[in-house]
Amino acid sequence: MAAVTTSAQAAAVHHDAHAGHDNYAAQLRMNRLGLWLFFISEAFLFGGLLATRFYLWGDTRPELDQEIGLIVTSVLLISSVSMRLAETAMERGNRKAFSFFILLTALFGLIFLGGVMIFEWGLFPAIYEGHLTPWGDKYGAVVFAMTGMHALHVVSGIVFIFIVWNLARKGSFSKERHWGVESCAIYWHYVDVVWIFFYPALYLIGTAAHVTH
Amino acid sequence: MQLTSLGLVRGLIGYFAGLVIGMATVVIFRLVLGMPAWDEEAVWVGGIIFAIIGFVLAIGAMSDWLKWTRGIETPMHHGPPADKPAWTRYFAVDYNHKVIGIQYGVTGLLLLIIGGSLALVFRAELADSGISFLQAGTYNTFLSMHGWVALAAILLGVGGMANYLVPLMIGAEDMAFPRLNAFAYWINVPAIITLIISMLYGWDSGWTAYPPLSLRGPVGYQMVFFAIFTIGLSSILGSLNLIVTMLMMRPKGMTLFRMPIFCWAILATSLIQLTATQLIGQAFLMLSFERTLGMPFFNPLYNAAGENIGGQPLLFQHLFWFYSHPAVYIFVLPGLGIISELLPVFARKPLFGYRWIALSSLAIALVGFLVWGHHMFTSGYGEYLRVIFMISTLLVAVPTGVKFFSWLGTLWGGRLSFQTPMLFTLGAISVFLIGGLSGPILATTATDLFLHDTYFVVGHFHATIFGGFVFPFFAAIYYWYPKMTGRMYNETLGKLHFWLMTPGFWLMSLAQMTAGTMGMRRRIADYDPALGVEPVHLLVTIAGFVIAFSILLMIYNLFTSAEIGAIAGNNPWRSRSPEWQIPSPVPEHSYARPISVVGEPYDYGLAGSQYIAMSGAGDD
Amino acid sequence: MFNRDGYGIVVLIGIILAILTIIEYFMGLYHVGATLLMLVAALKAILVIYFFMHVSRLWTAEGEH
Repeated sequence: MAAVTTSAQAAAVHHDAHAGHDNYAAQLRMNRLGLWLFFISEAFLFGGLLATRFYLWGDTRPELDQEIGLIVTSVLLISSVSMRLAETAMERGNRKAFSFFILLTALFGLIFLGGVMIFEWGLFPAIYEGHLTPWGDKYGAVVFAMTGMHALHVVSGIVFIFIVWNLARKGSFSKERHWGVESCAIYWHYVDVVWIFFYPALYLIGTAAHVTH
Repeated sequence: MQLTSLGLVRGLIGYFAGLVIGMATVVIFRLVLGMPAWDEEAVWVGGIIFAIIGFVLAIGAMSDWLKWTRGIETPMHHGPPADKPAWTRYFAVDYNHKVIGIQYGVTGLLLLIIGGSLALVFRAELADSGISFLQAGTYNTFLSMHGWVALAAILLGVGGMANYLVPLMIGAEDMAFPRLNAFAYWINVPAIITLIISMLYGWDSGWTAYPPLSLRGPVGYQMVFFAIFTIGLSSILGSLNLIVTMLMMRPKGMTLFRMPIFCWAILATSLIQLTATQLIGQAFLMLSFERTLGMPFFNPLYNAAGENIGGQPLLFQHLFWFYSHPAVYIFVLPGLGIISELLPVFARKPLFGYRWIALSSLAIALVGFLVWGHHMFTSGYGEYLRVIFMISTLLVAVPTGVKFFSWLGTLWGGRLSFQTPMLFTLGAISVFLIGGLSGPILATTATDLFLHDTYFVVGHFHATIFGGFVFPFFAAIYYWYPKMTGRMYNETLGKLHFWLMTPGFWLMSLAQMTAGTMGMRRRIADYDPALGVEPVHLLVTIAGFVIAFSILLMIYNLFTSAEIGAIAGNNPWRSRSPEWQIPSPVPEHSYARPISVVGEPYDYGLAGSQYIAMSGAGDD
Repeated sequence: MFNRDGYGIVVLIGIILAILTIIEYFMGLYHVGATLLMLVAALKAILVIYFFMHVSRLWTAEGEH
């Protein structure tokens, strides 16, 4: 079915009318709405994980190292602050400060990720002996599901940061036009918001259960 | 022309290359960790994930984005590829929403035929008692596959209507994010291939994939999980795109309450798709992880003291139905929108209660989030929940009733004409009425306890889906066929299609419900002739084949009319909607000049009323 | 110093978030229950969404940022 025929003459009229400033502003508004809708969608995924946690654990929680939890949470919060500072720097056209803060954010993100992998998951028993396994019991399973899904978003956020940093280094963004930076920043904050709810759900709510196998 | 220059072929190569690479990666990984190299389950999971990614990368659905990450700008390409025949754009990544809409629609129709054929096979088996040619395991696989293939067909069909029509109806150049649109379509294709590959191993739980059965069955389940996860991802991205398009790209003067009513239906649908779909993705991912890694989400696990330190099967049902009930509204709301869209055109009368219809779609969508527990009346959850879910479910009848009365009000005193699209619209109303009236019987706990898991449910479900999706979808195909191809379909064949399919469906639906009340369980390969359901089953099977034959007529009609049909002209239905004011078939850039809205959309038959105005070139 | 898009307000919000987190930590130690903890979490989330993710840009038709 050759349903869509070509007609090039219409292209010129329609497109030039929208070109330039208006086009960028309109696209920017759509991008923002699109990204926020994506967040709303993801909120249901993380909400589903929280629901799983409350359904299976009820008023109990696994024995997790409280200090570690507080530290990784703080690291992630601080990374959000540095990310916002990076965006502010870009809004003011201060590229040096931008590069510094966004790399700092990535560093904090990596520290958070390391904390999760070493202490929550116990992937490196030489440093820290974790006692949870994904297949051991419902505590291990849900901890790994929640932190795993969150870590996946942290990893993608870090990749995003390095892409944006590299593009900025090449001079891609300007004081006025930097949707790449803005989207990267609010994505990073969103990952932080998710953790804001996961932290109490994993570490603080309920009494620690002593599971015998 | 080289075969590999066709996007789809490259994608398929990427799929199988990814499959091999993924399987090899898992084997190597297992060897490094000191595990036995071969584990069917794990190897297939790795293979499937890589295969889906491989397809998408190879066909080039992500190449623009990957270029952006390196700072390379990619201007939007319009029109068919320069160095290839025009038809190849339908088999490759193309950013035009009209092409993507047709890709969605044709794929959906193809899946509908595959899903229907699967049903015909096991319907033939059920025509008499005793096992004649389908062994129980194969029967289960066919039945389960019929479920998901048909549901995927519906999701794609809805995607087709939405992608083709929404931008045209709001006078937009394209969707808000054309690349995302193409991506959202193309991830469906590897998912469908994966779904079909699952038949190699089979799976046997029905489409619901309840654990613990789905945790123990063959490897086919893993393919289903990832296929559905991917199709779900497509739903989410597609609906996101549609919402942004409708909220941000309407022309001057088109307030939300002056949008064509179909857009309202799609808006409500998209809100469900955007949010609820995550839950089934999550549930299926959890099943997959439980199977692959043994993470006990759903299977209970008892320690020495006899305490359950593992999961709970009921959790899956909650997660599953939190999507899968609203999903039913994803399937039917667009179809109901089509009915509301077409009735005024063929009745030459204003749509009765435009605002009420618009808001009833939203109301159905919102109430739909609160009713999932009515699928679980017999599951053993807290008994107090039964009352809550019964009441919320019965509430759905209110906005649905609003739609019915609005349709009646539109038809009342209209100057009706009965071309094929109108026939299918009326057929849809009649069939949806059967489905709708059998709903409260199942929503009421007291009666559901007896009817749960019987053929009554099958009859109810198929009536709602045929009335809410299949009939309106066919109406839409006939109605917009001239807009898509520029030619008219064959009216006689169209009418024949209708007069075979509609009585066939009434018969099938009522017979299924009868079998259910006589005690026929759903999803079983054999039954006791002493139930007395044998003649009823024979009727269902015959009706099924009649419906299948009528659909073949439509396919024949669509194919031949594209070549020999009469030239349709711009506006054969005398519609007021913007897409009918431009040439058929729609040019590459749909609207040469921006449109603006100056009146109400459905004021058919009112003297001096005007919906849209095509503005002059300088009047932007 | 605390204009809406300055560096100062960012640090201030960061400090508030830190204080709330420490409060949460002690609330957890003393078992105050899920509801209160989730309320504090929601408060933190609102701060991040409003000040860091500048959600209001969705509906204020401000220019290019």
